Amino acid sequence: MADVIPLDEFVSDEWYPGFKPAYDHAPWMVDPVDTFKKKDEETFWFLDFHWPRGLTPMGWIWGEDGYNWGTQLAAETLPLPPGRGMTSRFAGTHLYGSAVPVTDPREIGARAKRIEKSLPLFLGNFEDIWATRRQETEDGWAYLRSVDLGKLSLAELGENLVQARAYHKRAFEIHFEVMYPLLANFVGFYGQCVEFGLDPGQIGKFLQGYDTKIMETDRELWRLTAQARSGGLADVFAATEAENLSAALSAHGGAASTWLSHFEDFLQIYGWRTEGSCDLALPSWIEDPTPALGTIKTFLLKPEVHDFKAALDAAIAEREEAVDAARSVLTREEQAVFDGGLESCRAANFPWWQDDHNYYIDLKVSLPMRWACQEIAGRVGADASDDMFFLFWPENMQLVRGERSYPDFKPIIEARKQYFDHWYQRRASMPKMLGTIPDSVDDPIVIEIFGLNGHFLDTIKAAASGQEVRTLTGIPASKGIARGIARVLSNADELHRIQPGEILVCESTSPNWTPAFAKIAACVCDGGGTLSHAAIVGREYGVPTVTAVGLATAIINDGDEIEVNGTTGTVTVFHTATAGSTEGAEPAATGGVPS
Amino acid sequence: MGRLSELLQAGVCVPAGFSVTIDAYRQHCAQSRLDAVIDTALAGLGDNPGPAPIEQASRTIRAEFEQRPISTALAKDITDAYDDLCLHCVEVNVPTAVRSSATGEDSDDASFAGIFDTYLGVSGPGRILDAVRACWGSLFTERALDYRHRRGISHHEMPIAVGVIELIHARASGVAFSIHPVTGKSDRIVIEGNWGWGEAVVQGLVTPDHIEIGKSDGRVLRYDVASKKIVSAFDYAAGRVVETDMPARLVDRRVLDDEQTAAVAEAVAAIEKHYGFPVDVEWVLDRHRRAGEPICIVQVRPVTAVKVSSPPPARWNPVSAATKYAFHRTT
Repeated sequence: MADVIPLDEFVSDEWYPGFKPAYDHAPWMVDPVDTFKKKDEETFWFLDFHWPRGLTPMGWIWGEDGYNWGTQLAAETLPLPPGRGMTSRFAGTHLYGSAVPVTDPREIGARAKRIEKSLPLFLGNFEDIWATRRQETEDGWAYLRSVDLGKLSLAELGENLVQARAYHKRAFEIHFEVMYPLLANFVGFYGQCVEFGLDPGQIGKFLQGYDTKIMETDRELWRLTAQARSGGLADVFAATEAENLSAALSAHGGAASTWLSHFEDFLQIYGWRTEGSCDLALPSWIEDPTPALGTIKTFLLKPEVHDFKAALDAAIAEREEAVDAARSVLTREEQAVFDGGLESCRAANFPWWQDDHNYYIDLKVSLPMRWACQEIAGRVGADASDDMFFLFWPENMQLVRGERSYPDFKPIIEARKQYFDHWYQRRASMPKMLGTIPDSVDDPIVIEIFGLNGHFLDTIKAAASGQEVRTLTGIPASKGIARGIARVLSNADELHRIQPGEILVCESTSPNWTPAFAKIAACVCDGGGTLSHAAIVGREYGVPTVTAVGLATAIINDGDEIEVNGTTGTVTVFHTATAGSTEGAEPAATGGVPS
Repeated sequence: MGRLSELLQAGVCVPAGFSVTIDAYRQHCAQSRLDAVIDTALAGLGDNPGPAPIEQASRTIRAEFEQRPISTALAKDITDAYDDLCLHCVEVNVPTAVRSSATGEDSDDASFAGIFDTYLGVSGPGRILDAVRACWGSLFTERALDYRHRRGISHHEMPIAVGVIELIHARASGVAFSIHPVTGKSDRIVIEGNWGWGEAVVQGLVTPDHIEIGKSDGRVLRYDVASKKIVSAFDYAAGRVVETDMPARLVDRRVLDDEQTAAVAEAVAAIEKHYGFPVDVEWVLDRHRRAGEPICIVQVRPVTAVKVSSPPPARWNPVSAATKYAFHRTT
């Protein structure tokens, strides 16, 4: 008997007041992004952790061009034998994902034949392919950065927005074109290792210890932290809230001015990133450096400097040790297969790419659309610079072509902002899954990236039936045991709230959360597999991490004392805080265990 | 027994001994009118007997086997052979292992391993004759009766031979497989061993040390030292090997060192090569064995319960791995 979580309340023809999903072109390969329809109850949907704030009307483009188009195009092109990529539905402003299966056995067989040729071709040329594609996105980026938006007419701004969208769309075509074969190869290697009897918890280590652009950014943040300390600025940081730091440092002058110029140099290289994936409603660090400054502020609270070289050396040593230990239990015949698989996965390293690509794609490619929208807002005399995010693409096109004017849209923009706020408040209580819950999930992306394994499904079902949950379990993603105060965060804006030694509890992390790993004692995520961001970074930083816990953010309250065992994958809640629980979080399903 | 003589020819170290043949068994059954006893007891069982009638039949038949004397001529032959063995081993009343060997036991379609009795430490002509009769009777244990009944095999199709072999003074013993007995992986040798004699291992009374060795390079892939609570040890008062509590200081101690492990693996590999099919063996490490000397093999059977699994691919193939593990398809 399949479990059904009803979605009646989200059934809607309308998305945001005054908009019914409609298309002026075919934006999908297989299944388009949409609002929920009753029929969708037959399908399994999971709340995607990437957009904890919800998406604005312009965010619909991400669904069209990225989530649906990007994954479906890549799944059809490679092709993935059993899958057609991902599709998405909106419940309010919150995006639910689902894997689209290929059901015809004959077609699956035909697709399997095609990938026999295409996968080795890709893997053999990965370095070249990724270099070429990366260059392509960087060229697009350089062009869009070079445009002086201030000199464009409103109509030309419209054309620029079209260009920015095309760049964004192309970036996600590349994203999934590269991701699927890398993931397929890694999951194949993982499966082979498990078949050989190797400990699954060790497999991630075989591929760790390779430097990424995101790690490079973190090193620079620590370098700036050291400079702030040596410049005697620690007190200024300690005494000032993150959002006021920019002004306070400017006012301070002297050493602070020198430091700020270093900081500005840093931003020009590493600051073109948003505090979240694929969302043009988010500012870059350049636009709002609060997250970077807030991170440095908390880094200063740690007496010792995070030694990246030592951490990387340790990760490399651990990698080599894990590989030697694994090889020692394999027969010579098995070693030959293992060595070949390891070499292949190192040359086309999915865990590495999974971090590295964010610098070039996820954290950056929405920015040109954002700039165009903000420039248009200024040009039409909008009340707020984010007003255009609350128009849909066709509406923005009407605006730039002069077919409609800003005052026409003012009431609807206001209504939609309220709609966004309303759904933002509801995020913590949104069901983690909707529709028909399967007994098992087969799609490797859904399992590895979103961590929707059998255990996750069981936890959801247990909670739905009112069972008590005190010790939570998930995937042991990074070994070690730590006990501390839980900080339950709903999005990256709050990262600076975490004090050194505390435990991060969240839906899931993305690359912009990485700096926090240098100060947290442990990490617990609702979602995420052994290849999720938190798992990879947890291993790199040696932070005990448990992913795919299911309801961690709902059951653990902000301020609870918890113990995380990253070796066994268990999280024990010792005490439920009586005050200061996370806004909107459901009360703990249990009274907690007295400490 | 037949296999042991073959192995001796093939250069494997096997203990000295003699065999009481199938013909001797058949002759005994006829002369002692045991055939009639058996037929009567089995006729009462009907088509689908429950455990109680089988137990009753087994008890009746075995009691008769143990009571009815062996003919003077056969008893003399066995006693003479035993005397020869004593002379060969230069020991009066040399202790022996008396093992049943049904003809079905070594066949490829049914594994009778462990169904029939083995008596360890039997010494003196009188006890040898008793043990031979008990072994014959073990063709009619409840387990054996039930086994044949379910498979529709007549006891006439499966006469029993009895091996009487010199008891090796075991420092350690166990079983070994030329393929993995569970997964069927043929690229490794699996050894299980315990202190003392092998009965506790064969009967599953103890969790033995578990060792896996790569067949092609002889490398130890894993050595799991088990907590071994029971040992088969010689009870001098009773004059036989009995199962008893393991002395505390041996419980967690590793049974085989690297050299001994390699010697067992080498013997198993040689035997598999000799026969050309996967085998399981019972091995004994003689208390007096010195490094470099071979390991004694006291029992050999073909592996029949597990299918040899397909070997790992010759080299890494990303497509077949992804197809199998990422896309959950078989090629």
